[in-house]
Amino acid sequence: MNNSAFVLMLAASMVAATPIALAALGELLAERSGVLNLGVEGMMLIGAVVAFQTGTKTGNLWVALLVGSLAGAALSAVHAVLTITLRASQIVTGLSLTIFGTGLATFVGKSIEGMPLAVDFRPTPWGPLADLPVIGPVLFKQDPIVYATIVLGFVIAFYLRRTRTGLSLRSVGESPATADSMGIPVALFRYIHVLLGGLLAGAAGAYLVLGQVPSWSQESTTGGLGWIALALVVFASWQPVRLLLGAFLFGFSRQLNFFLQGQGVAVPAELLSMLPYLLTIIVLVVWGSRDLRRRVGAPDALGIAYVRDER
Amino acid sequence: MNLRIRLERRMHQRWWYSLLAPTSAIVAALCVGAVFLAVKGFDPVAVYRALFEASFTSLYGITDSLSVATPLIMTGLAAGIAFRMNLFNIGAEGQLYAGAIAGSWAGIALGKNLPPVLAVTAVLVLSVLGGMLFALPVAAFKAYLGTNEIITSLMLTFVGLYLMRFLIYGSTSFWRDPAVTNFPQGKKIANAAWLPLFGSYRTGWGLVLVVLVAFAVWALVKYTKVGYDMSVVGSSPAAARYAGIPSKRVVLGALLLSGGLGGLAGGVEVASRAHALDPNGLALGLGFSGIVVAALARYHPLGIIVVAVFLGGLRNAGAALQSMPGQRVPAEVSLMLQGAILLFAIGAEIFVRYRLHLVRRPAVTK
Amino acid sequence: MSDNVLPGTTPASSRGVALAARGVTKRFPGVLANADVDFELLQGEVHTLLGENGAGKSTLAAMLCGLYQPDEGQIYRSGKPIRLRSPREGLAHGIGMVHQHFRLIPRFTVAENVILGDPKQSLLMKPGEAERRVGEISERFGLPLDPRAVVSDLTVGQRQRVEIVKVLYRGADVLLLDEPTAVLTPQEAETLFATVRSMTSEGKAVVFISHKLGEVMAVSDRVTVMRAGRVTGEVATKDTSARNLAELMVGRPVEQTVRRGTGQTSATPYLEAHAVRLADAGRNVLDDVTLSVHGGEIVGIAGVAGNGQRELATTLAGITAPTSGSVRVGGVDIGGKGAKAARHAGLTFVPEDRLGTGLVPGLSLTDNMLLTRRRSFFVNRRAARAELAEAIERFEIKAPGTEAEARVLSGGNAQKVLLAREVSDAAKDGDVRALIVSSPTRGLDIGAAEFVRELLHQVRVDGGAVLVISEDLDEVRSLADRIVVLYRGQIVLSGASEELTVEQIGMAMAGVKE
Repeated sequence: MNNSAFVLMLAASMVAATPIALAALGELLAERSGVLNLGVEGMMLIGAVVAFQTGTKTGNLWVALLVGSLAGAALSAVHAVLTITLRASQIVTGLSLTIFGTGLATFVGKSIEGMPLAVDFRPTPWGPLADLPVIGPVLFKQDPIVYATIVLGFVIAFYLRRTRTGLSLRSVGESPATADSMGIPVALFRYIHVLLGGLLAGAAGAYLVLGQVPSWSQESTTGGLGWIALALVVFASWQPVRLLLGAFLFGFSRQLNFFLQGQGVAVPAELLSMLPYLLTIIVLVVWGSRDLRRRVGAPDALGIAYVRDER
Repeated sequence: MNLRIRLERRMHQRWWYSLLAPTSAIVAALCVGAVFLAVKGFDPVAVYRALFEASFTSLYGITDSLSVATPLIMTGLAAGIAFRMNLFNIGAEGQLYAGAIAGSWAGIALGKNLPPVLAVTAVLVLSVLGGMLFALPVAAFKAYLGTNEIITSLMLTFVGLYLMRFLIYGSTSFWRDPAVTNFPQGKKIANAAWLPLFGSYRTGWGLVLVVLVAFAVWALVKYTKVGYDMSVVGSSPAAARYAGIPSKRVVLGALLLSGGLGGLAGGVEVASRAHALDPNGLALGLGFSGIVVAALARYHPLGIIVVAVFLGGLRNAGAALQSMPGQRVPAEVSLMLQGAILLFAIGAEIFVRYRLHLVRRPAVTK
Repeated sequence: MSDNVLPGTTPASSRGVALAARGVTKRFPGVLANADVDFELLQGEVHTLLGENGAGKSTLAAMLCGLYQPDEGQIYRSGKPIRLRSPREGLAHGIGMVHQHFRLIPRFTVAENVILGDPKQSLLMKPGEAERRVGEISERFGLPLDPRAVVSDLTVGQRQRVEIVKVLYRGADVLLLDEPTAVLTPQEAETLFATVRSMTSEGKAVVFISHKLGEVMAVSDRVTVMRAGRVTGEVATKDTSARNLAELMVGRPVEQTVRRGTGQTSATPYLEAHAVRLADAGRNVLDDVTLSVHGGEIVGIAGVAGNGQRELATTLAGITAPTSGSVRVGGVDIGGKGAKAARHAGLTFVPEDRLGTGLVPGLSLTDNMLLTRRRSFFVNRRAARAELAEAIERFEIKAPGTEAEARVLSGGNAQKVLLAREVSDAAKDGDVRALIVSSPTRGLDIGAAEFVRELLHQVRVDGGAVLVISEDLDEVRSLADRIVVLYRGQIVLSGASEELTVEQIGMAMAGVKE
């Protein structure tokens, strides 16, 4: 039963969901501080190509993951300086970042296109738990990054809800003027969380080449996952745990068409691919209605540079 | 350290600042690019010379650059008209696909029964309508529900992308060429619906049309009531209310216009270059690049032409580079350079508009 | 029992000085906001800072809490000189301010808002404990609040309580309340006064900033009256009367050229409001307002800011739709039909927010001249440019040119451009010419202010109907033929300028009924 196509698909959905969730969690942190970063796709690509090369050179998965993440963070630093200190448009800067990141990653990765990577993240079964029906393969036979991502989602939820710093972060995203008046360093919070966002986007990219498909190709490595991550943040209404569930749903929808093909059911892959985006629009329009917007929804100051009112 | 950076808006801008900013951005980006090239073992000077020669010296190079610039001008206009009102329609990409779908339908279905002028017109008009239709949810949700247009337009881009792929790869739709079976392709539009090229060059009447549209948009913005109302609503909603300008209708109209221009980009691509609904030919990126084109041109319709030609040249050079003998420089150098120029230009733009001050906070005294 | 001690019964001399300012001066570009101000707050007292808008009360309070630093002079806390460089340092000294504009995050709960930025919170928040402490404070001082409620669900009065709890939570024992009753219903204000009394009975000192004489008399022990940046008197409430305070607050009128109309007014009113009511969030911002302005006269609306003047202006200008009642311009009903309908009927409007509402900062001056004009499909700038060039010369407007962005204009020049646009429109031949002007001279220097007043006078002499809405009572008295006083959205007094005394008007503005 655990080898049935459906269970295998569920297990694969977990893996497919992981990079989306990682990148989206990072974007969530940046957006919670009030900074929209449309450069996720670019940061993921850079993270992927750098991790791949580090992996080839060192043969160490964890070093590769770390260096890939740092590369993503380095790219996000450009976004932070331009949008926070120099108050450039977050939209234009983020899109430029994606263009730059895509170009750089492809250029740097040209020589390694199609090469296999010797090392990759392997599923580690949890002893007998892995043999449980259905939940065994889905939950207890995954690679460490899958688990780390789930834990991270809950850690971020805890950070936002239960810690003093998390409360300050939320206030910076909701009303930087209020936060400033309460002595919270707005720019510092934004810098840190934009960099964390880049770090996680880089990690997501790294995971793509270290875990899912251990090879690099600009065309297929991210395949627009960075944009799905952006959608996911909105879909999850900026809530980390909801984001994990949404990531599974989005990952599931990506796996579904392989499954359906295997079952001989002809549902066009393209229509399934549309699903996450359509769902996000629906969520945004329905939950964005005035009554609900008071509780959930985008941080009030998202996308707006903060200028202290000086007399 | 108790230093802070403070930005102060410049009251008077010196004219040469607006030339200095892009120039220094290009120089800085070339320097950064040179570092990467050198690290990868290329000779930066040779690569840059090749880039320049590929796009800007021969007549073929220039016309090729212009053919890449053509859709960029359109998507730049689409973004520009909305962005200058602080309406962030970042979905020109999707609107372009919608325009291509609608336009190619017209080219296939109506093209063969119409004389050339009407056939081309049908393609272009339908592509505008397609783009508008695709922007309608963005516009209506924004104007009447206040839904964030950034996200809706971004999401719809991918809906458009997958819709286009579905029509060619995922189904035996009207747009798919039934004659080709090994690799799915779009059905060719009727010859009558083609926008003619100039001789053997790759650019043609499509460029003329796009430049005319740019002038029309410029005139609309600068000389008409519509443009005036748009400026007021974008600049100060309170003043619009005071003056009795219907903000919601203006927002709706501006976003639809933006969508229509994005759609027209798709129509022009179909009629002058692709001649079919071609998911590979309409590579992802023209819409997004258009936004940056518009931003660098400060949303000025005629400035958009200049920036688009420059970036078009850069893109075109990338393709030309791959065939460069001996060096085998990847085409992506141009994309990387493009990104670097954009980022530096965004930074430089701030220095043009603001004066930077380092402010020292008062020292602590006990 | 100390709880039963009435405010003001303890001899002032026996208490320590909680907070004091000596010889404090604060200048802003072009304005002397505080000039050599002395102020003293005793422990356990309610001390009111009384004065009209712009008298310098808020500037003084801002210096006392650390928001501004004085240019000269010294602040003392319990006798020791202190220097506060931020409100946070103020709080560290136990001084907290409750601003008129709340600084709350709507999506946060009450408790979250209260503990936000508190350095004493442990890294891991204990929401239960924070909620308990917030509950404790709110109970102790009679500030009923649910610590778990989300702020966006609260009424304005409740939000104010959150602000007060925020300050108390940080351990402040000097509280500055900046016009706290401006946003409250009378019942909410009563609750607030009870809270203030319970705070002082615990030894906390309260600075109460207000211009409403009635509540000042009711709540405070002592009053420091300010006018034009200076202290004009310091009195114990029990030794004074509302009338006396009104005199100190309003002072002797500044000599201004008094201009009166010719007495020849149009047979029918050009501008009429009949029983206009405007409800906002369950509160009547305008309540049964009936007034009329004839051609050839100026009617002045006097009142303290926030008593419905802004809403009256936008309602009469057709921008805001009245909840009930009618607005007519030249007999044509224009209520809520939009600014264009009002203008077509012959009304022009100069709003108080010049750059941002009256003028579009990002557009050229020429384009701004077109803002309220009828526009054909192709915008014709030639006429506007010529008109603007003429106005620049005639009104001596200092502008870099007709194509400069409006944002570069100073306040006075912006007002001149606005008036040039609206008045020249109003002065065109036609039957009805009505002009509404909000705060015509606020922020202008003396020369520009005089120019504006002369211009308004000229409109009247030429037969136009002018409605001037101003917080500057001297200005209203020097210009208007008739004066209407607005208090809490109602007309509480109206009459011919000559027949009303300053005291009468001042009392009406402060809501004191005789």
